[in-house]
Amino acid sequence: MPPAMTRPGLCRVEQIMGTAISLDLADDLPPADLHDLADDVFAWMREVDARFSTYRADSEVRRFDRGEVLLSEASADLRYVLETCADLWGVTDGFFDAYATGGLDPSGFVKGWAAQVASDRLLAAGAVNHFVNAGGDVRVRGCAPSGEPWRIGIRHPWDAMASCLVLTGTDLAIATSGVYERGPHVLDPRRGAPATGLRSVTVVGTDLGVADAYATAALAMGAAGIGWLDRLSDHTHAVITDDARQFHSAALPLTD
Amino acid sequence: MRRAFLAITGLAASTTALVVLKGSPGTSQVAQDLPAAQGINPTPSGTDPSLDPAAPGGPAGAGVKPSATAGASTSPKPGKTTARPSGNGTTTKAPSAPRTTTKPPQSSTRRVTGAGFDAKDGSENYGYVQVQIVVSGNRIVEAITLSLPSGGESDIHSEDVRNRYNGTGGEVVQKQSANINTVSGATETSNAYKQSLRSAIEQAF
Repeated sequence: MPPAMTRPGLCRVEQIMGTAISLDLADDLPPADLHDLADDVFAWMREVDARFSTYRADSEVRRFDRGEVLLSEASADLRYVLETCADLWGVTDGFFDAYATGGLDPSGFVKGWAAQVASDRLLAAGAVNHFVNAGGDVRVRGCAPSGEPWRIGIRHPWDAMASCLVLTGTDLAIATSGVYERGPHVLDPRRGAPATGLRSVTVVGTDLGVADAYATAALAMGAAGIGWLDRLSDHTHAVITDDARQFHSAALPLTD
Repeated sequence: MRRAFLAITGLAASTTALVVLKGSPGTSQVAQDLPAAQGINPTPSGTDPSLDPAAPGGPAGAGVKPSATAGASTSPKPGKTTARPSGNGTTTKAPSAPRTTTKPPQSSTRRVTGAGFDAKDGSENYGYVQVQIVVSGNRIVEAITLSLPSGGESDIHSEDVRNRYNGTGGEVVQKQSANINTVSGATETSNAYKQSLRSAIEQAF
């Protein structure tokens, strides 16, 4: 049998959080173990959705927002998310604002954070080569089934089928915020109006929740977000402006 | 002899008709030509285009103008504007019809990618221009620049950012079709697939 026909590991995609969550486990583990690991990842993502969804009236976030759950009664996960969102609000000069739309909506952090936690758990369980992609926010670890480092495309903001840059690495958190999928949904919290100037912001770091929040904050800043990202010492970025110009860190892990 | 007389009479009659047409209703003829010329060719003078983008919320015709300015003036657009309303039968008033937007309203949104053009000034080639429009019903709701030449107004904005920037910046975004394992992008919703499918269908027809 030619070895090219098979690859070790497992791929799975499920629709959770109103988007596609994809998982690629590249380790050559017994099939039963791989399925258990994948089951755990998607069970966790569904748990996060049930707890943090702003679309479900019975989610803990919605009940907390209505005052039906006190902070002292909240789950450890909700308390952690609220604390981190407050920190991110300060670090981003108020541009990452979980209350930008009026009610509590920590989605700009939660999706990336959930994928980060899933990836951390996989690593701890011995699945050291994998990626988790939660609706475009990607955490990669180790190598692809080919044995090479993972290759991650940044979606071209005007062509859903194309990438505009390709990143590579063995330990990257890559989050992208953009206005091309859901329109100008990111509000500039200072003006209360949709942010303009930037079409797509990608932030690369080691924590996907933080990278996700930074990408959202920079998008809300508009053109000034490019300078703000440039001053971050521990993250790299790629930005595409409304007029189709591209800006990226010199240290961005690019490949051909 | 008879034939010659008829020919002369005919020539005289038609000349009279021409003179009469040019004399009295000539003003209306000019008045009809003017809006047509504005609609089709937005760059008859240098000052007009600067005034046009001042009303971005205008009718479909106004929305198309900036892209026509950027593209070559020999674009097939004039043919399009006159061809669309020709179904009405009134050929003389046809050029003004697109401005009144008599087309039945459509609720769907579509993206139409214009043909790419080289931005030329004489023998100087400034680069490649391509514009995509998003049309909702008979209104253009968004115009996206897929490709722009270096220089011009957009470059001035980029220049401000670049001055204090440590990274690589300012080049026009490119497409890469390399092998990849996964893609980072803005969150897609289930609607995105439907929207993408819809636009593909509309472009096909």
